[in-house]
Amino acid sequence: MKYLRLLGAFFWVSVAGELAYRVNFLWQLFQSILSLVVSLVGLGVIFSYTDTLGGWRPDEILALVGVYFLVGGMIGLVIQPGMEQLIESVRDGTLDFTLTKPEDAQLIVSIRRVEIWRLIDIGLGLAVLATALIRLGEKVGGWQAGMFILMLIAGAVIIYSFFLILATLSFWFVRVENILVIFQSMYEAGRWPVSLYPGWLRYGLTFIIPVAFATTVPAEALTGRLTWETLLGAVVLAVVLLTVSRVFWRVGLRHYSGTSA
Amino acid sequence: MISPAIHIKDLRKVYIVSRQEASTRATLQSLVHRRKLEIPAVDGISFGLASGEIVGFLGPNGAGKTTTLKMLSGLLHPTAGEVTVLGYIPWKREKSFLRQITLVMGQRNQLVWDIPALHSFELNRAIYRIPAEDYHRMLGELTELLELEPLLYKPVRNLSLGERMKCEIAAALLHRPSVVFLDEPTIGLDVTMQRRIRSFIAEYNRRFGATVLLTSHYMADVEALCRRVVVIHHGRLLFDGDLSILVQKFTSHKTIVVQLGDYQADLRSYGEVVSCADGRFTLRVPKAKTAHVTERLLADLPVIDLLVEDPPIEEVIERVFAQGNP
Amino acid sequence: MKALAELYLQQFKTTLASMFQYRASLLIWMIGQVLEPLVYLIVWSIVSNTSGGSVGNYTTKEFAGYFIVLMLVNQFTYTWIMYEFEYRVRQGALSFALLRPVHPIHSDLADNVSSKLITLPIMILIAAGLAVIFHASISPAPWAIALFIPVLLLAFMVRFLIEWTLALAAFWTTRVGAINQTYFVLMLFLSGQIAPLTLLPSPVRVAAGILPFRWMIGFPVELLLGRLTLVETLTGLGAQAAWLLAGFVLLRIVWRAGVRIYSAVGA
Repeated sequence: MKYLRLLGAFFWVSVAGELAYRVNFLWQLFQSILSLVVSLVGLGVIFSYTDTLGGWRPDEILALVGVYFLVGGMIGLVIQPGMEQLIESVRDGTLDFTLTKPEDAQLIVSIRRVEIWRLIDIGLGLAVLATALIRLGEKVGGWQAGMFILMLIAGAVIIYSFFLILATLSFWFVRVENILVIFQSMYEAGRWPVSLYPGWLRYGLTFIIPVAFATTVPAEALTGRLTWETLLGAVVLAVVLLTVSRVFWRVGLRHYSGTSA
Repeated sequence: MISPAIHIKDLRKVYIVSRQEASTRATLQSLVHRRKLEIPAVDGISFGLASGEIVGFLGPNGAGKTTTLKMLSGLLHPTAGEVTVLGYIPWKREKSFLRQITLVMGQRNQLVWDIPALHSFELNRAIYRIPAEDYHRMLGELTELLELEPLLYKPVRNLSLGERMKCEIAAALLHRPSVVFLDEPTIGLDVTMQRRIRSFIAEYNRRFGATVLLTSHYMADVEALCRRVVVIHHGRLLFDGDLSILVQKFTSHKTIVVQLGDYQADLRSYGEVVSCADGRFTLRVPKAKTAHVTERLLADLPVIDLLVEDPPIEEVIERVFAQGNP
Repeated sequence: MKALAELYLQQFKTTLASMFQYRASLLIWMIGQVLEPLVYLIVWSIVSNTSGGSVGNYTTKEFAGYFIVLMLVNQFTYTWIMYEFEYRVRQGALSFALLRPVHPIHSDLADNVSSKLITLPIMILIAAGLAVIFHASISPAPWAIALFIPVLLLAFMVRFLIEWTLALAAFWTTRVGAINQTYFVLMLFLSGQIAPLTLLPSPVRVAAGILPFRWMIGFPVELLLGRLTLVETLTGLGAQAAWLLAGFVLLRIVWRAGVRIYSAVGA
């Protein structure tokens, strides 16, 4: 598909740019592993004092950690860099160049910047996930795996739409450079199952900053905890948010281009 | 003899950089083995400034101007040679030295971005320990000379480039330094603003007797402010002396601008026709022939007006640089 | 001295004005600062509740107390200079600092303290709220409360000096991201942010005592919780003083070396 080719082109530009800096890969690997170590040590200390955490067993939390890194890597690979650059280009006016290109502007801004080092996080996440799955053994069947993939996709769509909505705000408020950071700060809470948190926090992490859909929900699918309500809710929310963000984007674009909204 | 405010002898500054390659193969190779290059930014220069002089420091990009200024203000440590400013060795960065100098870099901000310039001024007052009375008097004079009144209370990020530059210059001079280094102070500014800043620098020099070393690649800056210029290229001095002598030495041509009644005249036999419009012709003639050509023009044609000029200094400087090229 | 006081006052005004401009970012940042200890608080509370009401010598309510006090102590001692310095070197803003007749650490210290004068009251309010929600409990003796202030101040000074010195790594390398992260990860483990130090294996406790991390954060927290004897507290104060001295010495050495490098290579 043409879009895949476009993605590939942006990807290669990023790679070529990064290759000029030697040893970058090793440093990035080091930092990612460090972050993983924090998670694993925290996990280790907690489970040296208990066998279950809110009903979750150690290997299930391990799977959650894997999802945390996997999804974190996916967000950091394409979604966040693109949205960051969008906000920048609105501020310095370079968005105009994008708008003159023949491809759909939303598509371009979404995939044009790729932070290739986040592939390391994705790799680490998959490794941890694989380890957890092996340890969980036959408890994970085809149905769980399928639901897991579905929830991952739904989560990715929800996160993407959320970021797009935040970034679109920059059409009206110029001083929102830091707004994407709010997701990063809250994402930390995704290292543990959101169901553990008190009601108000759980609500905030599900409906205000959708961290729960990024990590907990796919992990719930994998460990057989997924309820029909959550499944349906995730899919519906994904579709709704995708539509809303697209509409909001169009509105924002019209505002930017000066035509009346 | 009064000792000079600035004294430079055989100053050298060598940078060591690694080679950057363009081809993919070379990039991959450089992952394994980096090659180093020695680049002499300043290659043995000597000159001095007397107290109260304004000197223009000319050179194309990469000539070594900024490097020299950084060595004079203590930011860079020379590789070899001597340099003293007001009797101090700059790179020692003694506090009493730093209180008497200032470095203004065009397009670089020391003002705090989000708050009014006045706040940054107050901060500088505390940093330089300027007595309250002196501070207010200086601020008053600077505000008057630079027309800062409407700008002081706006956040710096809301100012235009020229307005910001004015505030930067004011902030740099609040402590009444006796040595002022200006690195491309008018770059990126519109013509009116450039003129205003130029006249300000001249006024500051006049009022406070400060020694000013100014780099620029705008000839207008140098023409307006400096009687003496120092020309640097590839890290070496090409010329040090009066601007008028520079012009004289390096020009072989003069420009004759003549206004004729006859719009159709063909002046090619008199010299190189640079431009013609509405009867106004600009000719370029060799210096030696200027008198002769002028005579002929006046005799042969219906001349309404005639003017003999030196070529634009840009051209002169180009020739000086060209001379300096290996 | 008076001139220095004037400088701090002016920097305070400058910081205040700048912070007002960035209030939205500040809010977002504070949410992050609250969230991390809060998450650990919740997780440990759950562990404690399913283990019969306590883990080690911490009851559920004491866990709440621990992490809330930790949050405040962290806020009090926090610096961001390690990130800031790399930016300064890269942007050439360091040149302007070097042109000034005053050591740049002063304006950084003033800026740090000034911004906390604004953020700390807010954090204290949030902490109070959380303490109510989670039924936090601490039990310090009166002398512990009295000694808490000097201990906290020392902790801040030690942390500021060490982090400022570490920030100077930007003179030598652009890899400060990796250095910063390593530092903060070590701090996470060794200062008691993941779990109270008494719950961690003893090699970790020993390392924490040798390195300055415990003296920057864990020690003041343990003191206010009422978990230290007078002797332990006084010994701790000694350790803090020693680290303060070491910090000063290290700072001078590294700063001089850093300026030498910077002025050889330029920016």
